[in-house]
Amino acid sequence: MNPRLDSAPLGVAVRISRIDWDAMSQDEGRRLREFGLMEGIEVTPLHRGSLFSRDPLALSVGRMQVIIRARQAAMIEVAPTAP
Amino acid sequence: MTAAIPTIALVGNPNAGKSSLFNALTGARQKIANYPGVTVERKAGHASFADGRPMSLVDLPGSYSLTPASPDEAVTRDVLLGRQAGERQPDALVVVVDAANLDNHLCFALELIALGRPTVVALNMLDLATRDGLTLDPAILSRELGVPVVPTVAVRKRGLADLLAAVDGAILSHQTQASAPSAPPPSDAALHQRARAIARAATVSETPVRRWTGRVDAIVLHPVAGFLILLALMFVMFQGVYAWSEAPIGWIEGGIAALQGAVDAALPDGFLRGLIIEGILGGVGSVIVFLPQILILFLFILLLEATGYMTRAAFLMDGIMAKVGLSGRGFIPLLSSFACAVPGIMATRAIPDAKDRLTTILIAPLMTCSARLPVYTLIIGAFIPNSNVGGSPVGLQGLVLFGLYLSGIVGALVVALVLRRTVAKGTAAGFMMEMPRYQWPRLRDVAIALWQRAWIFLRRAGTIIFVTTIALWLLLSYPTVPTDSSESQVDYSVAGRIASGLEVVVAPIGFNHDIALALIPAMAAREVAVSALATANAIEAGDDEEAMAQSLSERLQGRWSIATALAFLAWFVFAPQCISTIAITKRETNGWKWPLFMVGYLFALAYAAAGITYWTAVAFGLG
Ligand SMILES: Nc1nc2c(ncn2[C@@H]2O[C@H](COP(=O)(O)OP(=O)(O)OP(=O)(O)O)[C@@H](O)[C@H]2O)c(=O)[nH]1
Ligand SMILES: [Mg+2]
Repeated sequence: MNPRLDSAPLGVAVRISRIDWDAMSQDEGRRLREFGLMEGIEVTPLHRGSLFSRDPLALSVGRMQVIIRARQAAMIEVAPTAP
Repeated sequence: MTAAIPTIALVGNPNAGKSSLFNALTGARQKIANYPGVTVERKAGHASFADGRPMSLVDLPGSYSLTPASPDEAVTRDVLLGRQAGERQPDALVVVVDAANLDNHLCFALELIALGRPTVVALNMLDLATRDGLTLDPAILSRELGVPVVPTVAVRKRGLADLLAAVDGAILSHQTQASAPSAPPPSDAALHQRARAIARAATVSETPVRRWTGRVDAIVLHPVAGFLILLALMFVMFQGVYAWSEAPIGWIEGGIAALQGAVDAALPDGFLRGLIIEGILGGVGSVIVFLPQILILFLFILLLEATGYMTRAAFLMDGIMAKVGLSGRGFIPLLSSFACAVPGIMATRAIPDAKDRLTTILIAPLMTCSARLPVYTLIIGAFIPNSNVGGSPVGLQGLVLFGLYLSGIVGALVVALVLRRTVAKGTAAGFMMEMPRYQWPRLRDVAIALWQRAWIFLRRAGTIIFVTTIALWLLLSYPTVPTDSSESQVDYSVAGRIASGLEVVVAPIGFNHDIALALIPAMAAREVAVSALATANAIEAGDDEEAMAQSLSERLQGRWSIATALAFLAWFVFAPQCISTIAITKRETNGWKWPLFMVGYLFALAYAAAGITYWTAVAFGLG
């Protein structure tokens, strides 16, 4: 299984290789795309969780920073960026 | 040209600066803050072209596309597509984009341009783009998009004249043009690809700048340190509400006492003198005294909103909010509810999930709003010693206040947990939110917003609080007690007798006649509890010089036990003593069902909390 965004190390840029669109609701999927989270895009996970929770996840997409939940991040497969 | 006044809509991604632009063009004072989802309603205003022709400008909630995810975004779509009841489709669109985030903002811009309406793009926040090391070419952007592009800095009022001229031109030239052919909408991926390509083409140079904001976030969003900072900020806020307001409160009190003295000397004893001294100055004045505290609280909230910290707080709170079935998104309306639940409840429109939103509305009144401050301060000032905790710089009074706020928050979380498992059952809410860049608060904006709040508070004091207090004064002054009666004037009056009836119900939880008297008028607004106590005491004191000289808190100390005072505080943590909140809940939930539910559960909680507090305190010998 490919690594997923929810367990990707912080501060390291990765490329989104696949998103399991069918596993999420239509609205969720659309909002992800509106944030620019799609196949082929480079993202950097920046901050994860607070206190005892692993949620949420803050990441940078282009010039923007967005917050999503770990549940959605788990549907996003990532690969190392091309060197 | 048609004679009709053209309607121009400001539209774009959340936090792009639409409301800032709207305010700059119309002179309005719409709320502006540095987080997505501030504007949740359509708002119209007047502006004029350079030659004086009028136009109607419409500010809209921010949205990422024409497909809405939350109720506020639905408003934007309806207005743009002309589906809003009784509204024409706007004659022109000003698409506001963030120059420092074109990749993303151009997607919605492209979708809007494809509607084929006369359109101008405002390339806003150009100053931030420069700060980030970006140089953009508006001419290239305009060529790629096929519409005029005008650089603007909304908060500095730059580029406004050019923008209006471009809008005028777009409307004129559009009439001779055939409307754009409607091609099938491109896929999201294609749209984004195109947006990125255009952004790249329009970017002349890009120097990477190392920003301090990344380092700030590393601390502020740290899983443990960040959370402690959030707690510390809130703690400082409540200490500040006490520590910094003491002097200005003293001045206002002094001013009111001087006025009372002047009226006392100028008017003969009688109806008018009593009304002015006891009812107006004593009653309403006792509420106005709290203006400094309310302003300090608002200053804190405004600073959190303007800097961009609000979204960070939402990030930090999401873990806890998720445990009770809500999302970090809901934390923002809840934090605004510290100021007032009414805008807080309105702000829930930005929450996508309906059940998540409903739950947030229902618990918003549990956040300690500024109207409770006068009540809390009066009782704390009278019954909690003004000392420091164990020699530390932490004041005991501030600590108790913090505790009351915390009780409200914990109560809200527990209620949310129950509601999400019962009446507001649903799938777990998601949390997806854009995190804005940090900005320095602009002094002018903060000052204007503070002034607005001060004005709202004074207007409340002059209207609803004034009227209820005067009505209460009349009901307390008549019928006049016969001189041979052993009863006091307050007990003998109409209001006193009604209170005696209510006292039967609230006596078990330790409430006395004073409190029973204050509770009913305080339904109109919580602060009235304070003015009611003040008025009743002023009447009771009558012409007794010694009693007159005592402050309200001194008089309360002599009449209430500590257990009663604590029970009264506990009551106010929960009780839904605010007509406006009930009204806005009815409006936002489209019916009476939920406001009635809210009032019912809150009164039940208030009764239980006050009772438990009283009985516990009595058991500890504080009765
Ligand atoms: N530096 C800079 N800041 C701006 C500019 N325009 C707006 N802002 C700031 O950006 C933030 C968002 O501004 P708003 O006007 O509330 O944005 P909006 O588009 O109405 O946002 P929503 O109502 O949430 O959709 C505020 O903190 C403003 O002070 C600008 O041109 N330059
Ligand atoms: Mg706005």
